[in-house]
Amino acid sequence: MSLALILRGAARCNAANLVKSARITPLKAYSSLVANAQRQVKPLVVAKAAAPVARREISVSAPRMAAAGGSHTMLWTIERLVSLGLLAVIPAAFIAPSQVLDGLLAVSVVIHTHWGVEAMVVDYMRPAVVGNVLPKVAHIGLIIISVATLGGLFYFIQNDVGLVNGIKRFWSIKGKQQ
Amino acid sequence: MLVNEARQILSRVGSLTARQQLRTITNGTAQLEQQAQPKEAKEPQIKKFEIYRWNPDNAGEKPYMQTYDVDLRECGPMVLDALIKIKNEMDPTLTFRRSCREGICGSCAMNIGGTNTLACISKIDTNTSKSLKVYPLPHMYVVRDLVPDMNNFYEQYRNIQPWLQRKNEAVEEKGKAQYLQSVEDRSKLDGLYECILCACCSTSCPSYWWNAEKYLGPAVLMQAYRWIIDSRDENSAERLSKLKDPFSVYRCHTIMNCTRTCPKGLNPGRAIAEIKKLLSGLASKPEPKLETAALHK
Repeated sequence: MSLALILRGAARCNAANLVKSARITPLKAYSSLVANAQRQVKPLVVAKAAAPVARREISVSAPRMAAAGGSHTMLWTIERLVSLGLLAVIPAAFIAPSQVLDGLLAVSVVIHTHWGVEAMVVDYMRPAVVGNVLPKVAHIGLIIISVATLGGLFYFIQNDVGLVNGIKRFWSIKGKQQ
Repeated sequence: MLVNEARQILSRVGSLTARQQLRTITNGTAQLEQQAQPKEAKEPQIKKFEIYRWNPDNAGEKPYMQTYDVDLRECGPMVLDALIKIKNEMDPTLTFRRSCREGICGSCAMNIGGTNTLACISKIDTNTSKSLKVYPLPHMYVVRDLVPDMNNFYEQYRNIQPWLQRKNEAVEEKGKAQYLQSVEDRSKLDGLYECILCACCSTSCPSYWWNAEKYLGPAVLMQAYRWIIDSRDENSAERLSKLKDPFSVYRCHTIMNCTRTCPKGLNPGRAIAEIKKLLSGLASKPEPKLETAALHK
C-alpha cells in the first residue's frame, strides 16, 4: 500500500508539473501584462453574426494562480497519521523487537523520509529554475532510492538479525580497551 | 506628512519652552539658562541609512546600495520619517510607497534591518555605530527602488473571492436587511479581519519565494480562512475545494516566518493550519449560532 501511495503521489506531482511547466509565463512580460488583468477581451455581439473569423485567444489576464486539480488532502492526512504513528512505532519496536514491528518501523520511517525529501524536491527542483527534465529525474531517482531502501531493510529483517537488533548491535560496539 | 512635521516642530518647541521654564524656576537666573542653551544645541546624531536603489530607466544598471546620512535629531522616530526626510531634503529620486504613516494602510511594507515590516511603525535604532539597511520586500519583482510589484499578490487575493457569498441570493435582496451573526461567531473573525495585506508575511515565506505562482502565501490564505469560517458565508465547501490541490495550501511547511514577521501581530500560520484541518475533515465549520437570513424573511 505504501508503495502504491508513493507511486501515485509521484505520478500526480509529475502530471501537475507537466501541466504547469507548459504555461509558465515569461516573467518579464508578466508584470506589464497583469496591469491589464482586469480588462478581459470580450468578443462583440456583432462578431457573432459575421462570418467565423479565426479568433486567437489573447490572454491579457494573469494565468490561473492556483495549481491545477488533484486533491492532496488524503495524502496530507496520511502523512500526519504516519508522523503520529512513528511516535508509537519507534519505542514499541525497540522495547519488543519482532519481525512485524521491524517491518512496520521500516515502512513508516522510509515513507516518512520519502515524503520529506519529496517536498524538498518539489520546492527546490522547480521547472522554472532547473528546466523540465531535472525535476522528473530527481523525483524518479528519489522513488528508486526509497524503494531500494525499503527493499534492503526488508531483506535485512528477513534474512538477518532484524532492524532494531541491528541498530542495537551498533550501539554495543565497544572500542578496543587500551 | 505636513501634519507629521508640524507635530514634530510643535513637540520640539513645546518641550524646549517647558524645559526653559523649568530651568528658570529651579535656577532663578536667566543667565545660567543661556549658558546651558548652546550645550543643549546638541551635536548631530548621524545615522547611516543604506537603501536599495534600482531604476529601470537606467538600462543595464545593477541594483546598488546608496548610503544616506540622517541626523536623527532632525528626524522623526520612525524609519518612514527618515525616508521622507531623505526624499525631501537629500534625494528626490528615492522611490517608495507610503500613505497613512500609522500602520493601517500597508503601503510602506519593506525589509528593514533584515525584517519585513512597515516603515511607519518601526522605530529607527538609535545606535549610530550601525547603519540601517532597507531593502524592498524580498523575492518580489522590483518596480523601482523600494517599490515591489504586487500584482501577483493581488491576483491571488482576487482568486480567493474575498466577499460574502450566499446560496439563495435570489430571495435575499441585497441591502434589504442585515445577516445575523452571534457574538461568538463574530469573535472567530478576530485576528483575521485586521490583516492589511501589506504582504510582509507572504514575502517572508520561503515556500512563497519558491512557488509564488502556485502557492497562495500566508496573507491570502489567512483571508481565505477568514471567509471560510465566517458564519454568514455559505460557500465554505466550494472555497475549500479550490484549495485542496498540492500547491495552494500544502506548500506551507509550518516554519512560521509569517507569524513572526507580521507587523500587526496576527497569526497566518494558525489560519493555514485551520484550513488544513478543515480540508482533511479533522475539523468542520460549525453551524451558525443565529439563523443568518432571519431578517430577510
